Amino acid sequence: MTAPALDPVTLKTLSSQDLMRLESEIARQFSGMVPWGSVAWGLCNLVVWLSLWPLVLFGHLPLWAAFPIATLNVMLSYLPSHEAQHDIIGRPGEPLRWLNELVGHVSTLPLVLPYRMLKLTHLEHHKHTNHSELDPDIHTRAASAWAFLVGSLRNRQPGGQAQTSYATTLQRLGTPQARLAMLEALGLQLTYLAVLFACALTGHALEAALIWWLPRHIAATYIGFYLSWAPHHPALETGRYRDTRGFRSLVGNIGSMGMQFHVIHHLHPRIPLMKTPAAFYALRPVLEARNCPIEGL
Amino acid sequence: MKFIGSLMRNMPFLFGIGFIAPLIDQMIKHFGLNPAGSPWSLILGLLIGGSWGVYAIWKTPAQ
Repeated sequence: MTAPALDPVTLKTLSSQDLMRLESEIARQFSGMVPWGSVAWGLCNLVVWLSLWPLVLFGHLPLWAAFPIATLNVMLSYLPSHEAQHDIIGRPGEPLRWLNELVGHVSTLPLVLPYRMLKLTHLEHHKHTNHSELDPDIHTRAASAWAFLVGSLRNRQPGGQAQTSYATTLQRLGTPQARLAMLEALGLQLTYLAVLFACALTGHALEAALIWWLPRHIAATYIGFYLSWAPHHPALETGRYRDTRGFRSLVGNIGSMGMQFHVIHHLHPRIPLMKTPAAFYALRPVLEARNCPIEGL
Repeated sequence: MKFIGSLMRNMPFLFGIGFIAPLIDQMIKHFGLNPAGSPWSLILGLLIGGSWGVYAIWKTPAQ
């Protein structure tokens, strides 16, 4: 099919099927490459975070300097794994599959979130975006940014939705993979607590708090805000072209970790994160023809 | 599995006395608010961390 000129009048004359074909054709130009930037990001970020421990414990780096670095590290630890969750680095059977799984598994260790659980629940999020019962991330829905912040703190308390929604999703899936993911999550959580307790017992509670415990809470809030609340707000509609929005972030595209263009990710999950801005501008006329929510871009 | 379930159920209390209490103790000492050798900062930490943990368990709905 020859791509027609992407002006709104022409697009209005296209059938839904032709519009979809055009959308896929444009999207294909932005997918299929290995996101080496995300691979390096995920692995280097982990190495920097791990190196903070000996640097601080052996007195080579003051704790006040390690704290902001650790916070940044934990904030940055999710997205490389997110690329792996969508098999963007290497699909099953491809030569780089091992790298996909390596990045997926190790990059989120600072967040204490195991890859298998993230992958299974994230795919459910894509399948049921904004669904009140089936979307594992629906607990981030809030009327305003302030309401999100309050809810985020509340949901992280014992018994809060953030603690239970992924487990509920895995139980609902009920597959052997889901059961394995539950065991991995439990093991990782117990390991995390064991490290915190060991640090506390040996007189390093403050170090553990400022390299892991507090950065993890700050990062969970930041990630929840920019990866879930902001791109899906108000999270009331379902449907391919209505459940995610394009938006202008106060802290720019890098400050919001590329989430201004999250709508592209939901439409074409195999487009690497760093390609989503270019894909957004290329697809914009199609998105407008589909009445996608685009605010301020 | 029963042991793990019980462990996780009581984890807020264990976290309170096992991490929050030493953290409070270490913070007070770090800012020089506790004379050397005095146990009051650890006792304060255990009171805050322990009661916080008990409250969290009480507020957690049974699974």
